[in-house]
Amino acid sequence: MLMPSVVVFALFVFWPLGRTLYLSLHGNDIFGAPSAYVGGEHYREMLSGEFGKVLATTALFTLFSVVPAVLGALFVVLLLEAHIRGVRALRTAFALPFAFSVATASVIFAVIYNPAIGVANGLLGSLGIDRVNWLTDPSIALPAVCAATVWMNFGYNILVLSAGVSAISPEVVEAARLDGATGWRLASRITVPLLSPQLFFLVVVSTIHALQSFGQIHILTKGGPDQATTTLVYSIYEKAFAFGSSDFGAASAQAVVLLVIMLSCTAVQFGILERRVHYR
Amino acid sequence: MRKPRLRRTMTAFVALVAAAALTACGDSGSGTDGGNDALDAPGAEVLEKAGDKTTIEFWHAMKGPNAAAVDQLVADFNAQSGGKVEVKAVFQGGYDETIAKYKASVQQKSTPALVQIYDIGSRFMVDSKQVVPMHKFIEKDGFNAADIEPNIANYYSVDGKMWSMPFNSSTPLLYLNKEAFERAGLDPTKPPKDLTEIGELAKKLTVKDASGKTVQYGFGAAIYGWLLEQLLATDGKEYCDNGNGRKGLASKVQFDQETAVRVAQWWTDLVKGGYATNTGRKTDDAQAAFKAGTVAMHLESTSVLRGYVDAAKGKFTVLTAPYPKVSSSSTGGPIIGGASLWIDGVGHSAKEKRAAWEFVKFASNPVEQAKWHTGTGYVPINGKALDEQIDKGWMAKFPQFRTAVDQLHALPPSVASAGCLLGVMPQARKASEDGLEAAIVGSKPADQAMKDAATSVQGAIDSYNKSVS
Repeated sequence: MLMPSVVVFALFVFWPLGRTLYLSLHGNDIFGAPSAYVGGEHYREMLSGEFGKVLATTALFTLFSVVPAVLGALFVVLLLEAHIRGVRALRTAFALPFAFSVATASVIFAVIYNPAIGVANGLLGSLGIDRVNWLTDPSIALPAVCAATVWMNFGYNILVLSAGVSAISPEVVEAARLDGATGWRLASRITVPLLSPQLFFLVVVSTIHALQSFGQIHILTKGGPDQATTTLVYSIYEKAFAFGSSDFGAASAQAVVLLVIMLSCTAVQFGILERRVHYR
Repeated sequence: MRKPRLRRTMTAFVALVAAAALTACGDSGSGTDGGNDALDAPGAEVLEKAGDKTTIEFWHAMKGPNAAAVDQLVADFNAQSGGKVEVKAVFQGGYDETIAKYKASVQQKSTPALVQIYDIGSRFMVDSKQVVPMHKFIEKDGFNAADIEPNIANYYSVDGKMWSMPFNSSTPLLYLNKEAFERAGLDPTKPPKDLTEIGELAKKLTVKDASGKTVQYGFGAAIYGWLLEQLLATDGKEYCDNGNGRKGLASKVQFDQETAVRVAQWWTDLVKGGYATNTGRKTDDAQAAFKAGTVAMHLESTSVLRGYVDAAKGKFTVLTAPYPKVSSSSTGGPIIGGASLWIDGVGHSAKEKRAAWEFVKFASNPVEQAKWHTGTGYVPINGKALDEQIDKGWMAKFPQFRTAVDQLHALPPSVASAGCLLGVMPQARKASEDGLEAAIVGSKPADQAMKDAATSVQGAIDSYNKSVS
């Protein structure tokens, strides 16, 4: 019974993984086919300062796209707990970004951020503020791409947390209220701890998601300006496919590094965060 | 019953993995096994003798109206070939995607008979040892190559022999907003001729509103490596060593030379001073800024002229001027870039190669080039196309286009204006953009930025040269 899945796994997971390791230890001819064995050469190249910058960018991108999206969604979900008219419509509205593909959302943001004809600069202009170079100023581009990513992830986070909130037993909340807990106290002592499985899930999944992000960077900045948004995945793409480059060896070596980073991130999250998760 | 079946499944599984591993290892020796005659040019008789129709694939990278012009060209060719040859045009994405897919097709031994590759992929195509050099067909047929614009043919020639047929060629221009000049009290019929003059005019053409917000910049162009390549050529400077890679494999790029640093510094100063806008590397964004009227002077290819004229209708007048030179003492001219057609020999029959050549000949005749020119805005590669009636009508309608043709004819062919042949030229161009951008956004001084950029591409050049020699 297990065999079919083992075969599928072997073909689509272990085989590519093995192939990546193999490629990462070889050079390439001009067509991109593996040539001579080069040992750890591609890994040694990564010790340069340039790759350090890529790793730092990846870390910043992950941090500033995961944390605001999860905390922001939590805040909105807690607010939506209030029994006001039209709360269902609001919930749907907040979850709407989930319906956009990364490509569509990125194109929308590209229009918003456009230096000459963009909506963002148009709004600033009508307030009498000089235009901001959203995607061409190295210190603003990364936050701008992160903001777009937060918007894209917001809907999904809202959906997951809303489902979590509605699964909280009314008796528990009722009991807490009888004991006099309201507002902030109720949220911090009852709702958030009971949401911890969902929060943990979101942190793990969005971290992996952020580490793999490609579409928004490709469409908005192509890794620029001055490498300010070149994350690890984008660097892999550039080595392997962009600008007529077919350096699959170096790209594969970076892919192996990405795998190691993702595994360790997840391991750390399970080791540290999960201890605080309250499963019902 | 259970155990043997499990074992059988296991055996099948192991066999499967082993087979996959063998296939993967087997593909590493990519095909130069076509033999010598694979790269020969067959005569017209191979098609005449053939009883059946020869069908070939033509991979191209043209989008939008240009793709429609390709489809029209192919349809016209198929219609006149009398059922002997059928060309199937296949769009493969942009230039980068096309060359990436071509590389993959070489590994899979499934190359198209005809492929359109951008100018900066030329050295790679020669080194790929897959293509029949175009001059072999030209000699075979006694084809009159003298009609091909010499400046254009120059780019695609190695040792004076043409390797591919130019297809779509463009030259860079200086674009001006006529009304912006008039509002500033400047004469738009006297365009700036060099970077210093652009810098001076940019100051006069930058307009701020009452609140101090800039509403019009004097200058704006994309951080596009091609523009730098062009500027170096106008100053007669070679982009890479070994005579722009035409005397032998180029071993290093020279965009850290003084002229290039001066360009980077000039651009940086304009942006810092607030006289130029930095819209980044995307040509679309720089184009949008000019079309929106927020930029008075702008550098771009001739190929966007049609779009500019249409977009500016009713808002302002688009004027064109010759591409600026680096300094008043510069004597060179820009490089004629674009893309060319390559005929694949390895893995293709004599009939297929001949069919590809027939299409190439058809595409470069004056009538077709006149249609191509007017349908796309690219410079006609055949000088005689300009005498065609359809072309004369177009020139009367869009006099701005005259600038590009005049500029092309005024240019003496030279090593600098032939452009750099380099296997990793696309990466070199990207590196030069890294350098320009680092200088313009102020993260490094111009000289350091260009030097670091040139160094960053050295590894790729070395490993490329090692693998082809």
